[in-house]
Amino acid sequence: MNQAYSITAAELAARGRDDIPSELLSSAHLIYSSPATLAFNSPGAQGFGVKRAGLAVPGSVMLLVAPACCGRNTAALGCEASLAERFFYLMQDDTDIVTGRHLARIPEAVKEVCDSCAKRPSAVMICITCVDALLGTDMERVCRKASDYAGVPVVPCYMYALTREGRLPPMVSVRRSVYSLLQPCEKVPTSVNILGFFSPLRDDTELYTLLKSAGIRTIREISRCATFEEYQAMAEANFNLVLHQEARHAAADLQKRLGIPSIELARLYQTDKIANQYRLLGQAVGAEFDDAPYRERAEKAIADFRTRFGTRMFAVGEWLNADPFELSLSLIRNGFNVSEIFGTVGGSNFVYVKKIAALSPDTKIYSNLSPTMMSYDGRDAACDTVIGRDAMYYHPTLPGVPWNEERQPFGHAGVAALFAALGNALSGKETPR
Amino acid sequence: MKSLLKHLSPFAPDQSGAVSALFEFGGLIAICDAGGCTGNICGFDEPRWFTRRSAIFSAGLRDMDAILGRDDKLVAKLQAAMDGSGLAFSAIIGTPVPAIIATDFKALKRMAEKRTGLPAITVATTGTRHYDVGASDAWLELFKTFAIEKLPIESGTVGVLGASPLDFPTLDAGNLLSAALRNDGWKTVNSYGMGAGLDAVKMASAAEKNIVVSPAGLAAAKYLQKTFGTPFEVRCPWLPPQLLDALPPLAGKKTLIIHQQFAANAIRDAVLKLDATSQVTVASWFMMEPEFMRENDFRIESEEAFIEAILNGNYDAIVCDSRLRAALPRTQSFNIIDFPHFAVSGRLLDEVQ
Repeated sequence: MNQAYSITAAELAARGRDDIPSELLSSAHLIYSSPATLAFNSPGAQGFGVKRAGLAVPGSVMLLVAPACCGRNTAALGCEASLAERFFYLMQDDTDIVTGRHLARIPEAVKEVCDSCAKRPSAVMICITCVDALLGTDMERVCRKASDYAGVPVVPCYMYALTREGRLPPMVSVRRSVYSLLQPCEKVPTSVNILGFFSPLRDDTELYTLLKSAGIRTIREISRCATFEEYQAMAEANFNLVLHQEARHAAADLQKRLGIPSIELARLYQTDKIANQYRLLGQAVGAEFDDAPYRERAEKAIADFRTRFGTRMFAVGEWLNADPFELSLSLIRNGFNVSEIFGTVGGSNFVYVKKIAALSPDTKIYSNLSPTMMSYDGRDAACDTVIGRDAMYYHPTLPGVPWNEERQPFGHAGVAALFAALGNALSGKETPR
Repeated sequence: MKSLLKHLSPFAPDQSGAVSALFEFGGLIAICDAGGCTGNICGFDEPRWFTRRSAIFSAGLRDMDAILGRDDKLVAKLQAAMDGSGLAFSAIIGTPVPAIIATDFKALKRMAEKRTGLPAITVATTGTRHYDVGASDAWLELFKTFAIEKLPIESGTVGVLGASPLDFPTLDAGNLLSAALRNDGWKTVNSYGMGAGLDAVKMASAAEKNIVVSPAGLAAAKYLQKTFGTPFEVRCPWLPPQLLDALPPLAGKKTLIIHQQFAANAIRDAVLKLDATSQVTVASWFMMEPEFMRENDFRIESEEAFIEAILNGNYDAIVCDSRLRAALPRTQSFNIIDFPHFAVSGRLLDEVQ
């Protein structure tokens, strides 16, 4: 374990997706915990985990029903006073976690929480953890009982870390939870919801303009709903646009319950693929999207960056708003070099590994979670620029961008914004760490 | 409701205390969890984790691991991570998951030692108790495992037990405690876990005396006394200077001090030294060792009890982590003197200043 494990893109592509080395599979080894992995090794430790995501419903509060350890970091999430006031904790003791006797206290706790709030919450989100996963708690039933007792909607949010690689991981499940309060209503053909993120897209995202050009008048995102009434109006949507695969399950649930169909778009950084995706979206909704000006702007941003800074050698991480392999492929196709990728290889992104292998066979692939990463030494790495908060951790002296801001980049505007941020970092205007 | 927190967030749990105690000893620490507990410990309760690379790992348990109790798989992963690492020992720290499935930590210890050929420590923390319980168990296991040889007493050598950032809100606590003791005339100060490493632990029986600076260190001190005859003294040789500067106005007043018991006792001593007629009460959310309590001292059992104690106590001043103010009525004013307690608020003195 005295050297960090890596494999070249060519070697990995040659092995195929069914023969990924165990060093890259988190289930095959202990999971190394470093500041580079905090956000995704422990969903919720930073950024949007189940706890913060569950509060996406406007006016809601969260009751975390768990041992104290599960609620500990919520103090950090709640640094913002407005969030801190929305978290409550019903702590389980040793007897609770074995017998499940805490379940009987939940209705009373929900009522006490509601009574203590200056303004009655729109809903109480009950966040439960591995304990109740193992106890086999029927939390839907408990929530119904609590709702009847306290007179407020009560919704379960399953923070079951044990099921992270299962059929319904916590971040998939919580997306369903936050839309579960939408009730059937009359459809409005000119309304659309964007699902996938818990914070809004960047305001300059062309998706808004393109949808408006197709006659869409109202585009809703849960994070832009200021009130519970605005949130409820999401039920009128003609269709849902799913921008993150973890929202597929929620979209399927909305189709089943409210009859809202959905269309999925991926976040990409290859401009030709983005354009193709818009073309297909246009076909699906019966409109023609003219994304050419936005594509030109993005490609100009790339060209300007290349002119100013040359063909940089990048290290790309996975703690960022992109698929690291798709982003790396985009960089390589645009004439840049990628020496290292810190990422989790899986079925959905292996296709990019194969394409990277064809264009840049020597690109090294590391797993952030491998115990061998404790020995990673970036001093010998060939890269000179980094993208991703984790990559910045490994290369603290190199210029780069974390690219994990809460405002979500998307489409051509996202590409332009990335290269603008990289340009700022390399010209010393901004080196966020 | 006693178990309901409406204003405060939960304090550092036992598993964080165990990791904090073992953090600096050069072992591989495997947290027996699915990933979330490790994130909480590293990302919130262990400020040293951000400053250096450390061998902290999550077992990465999944539902079938828990249901089937696959200890052999965990030990195999542990061995793979230990191989060629140069790490001195392994430690397996419990969380709610092994607590629910009744993991046999003694068996895990034996399996890990057999498989790795190195000492292993297991701490059966459950995530439901406070940090000091886990730290206490970890200290005890550490000394039981490594302080096994009776050595000749080295005159002028003193051990410090119970120091961690969770108890003393500065990363420099080891140095500050050591400096204070050197000022008292000790030649060599081993501040275990904050400065003094595994070699010092192995030589613990050579210490002339141990100083216990928090209740978490008491069980280990008693063990060392029983095993090697090393006497111990409970006292807190260092307190933040800015806190000491804020104490004179408390002379002759009625004051409540809320912190870890031994630090709070030291503040009480400082106030009483200013004016022996001062009425000073010590309280703690954490361990309160009866033999070091005075009349009226109490343990805070719940948020409700805390609020009631403050509102009914008519205190002129409260020395505590100022984040506790969040539980008190906003319409009333309270004279709070801030003494950050990392296990409560996750704040260090450096961040406060």
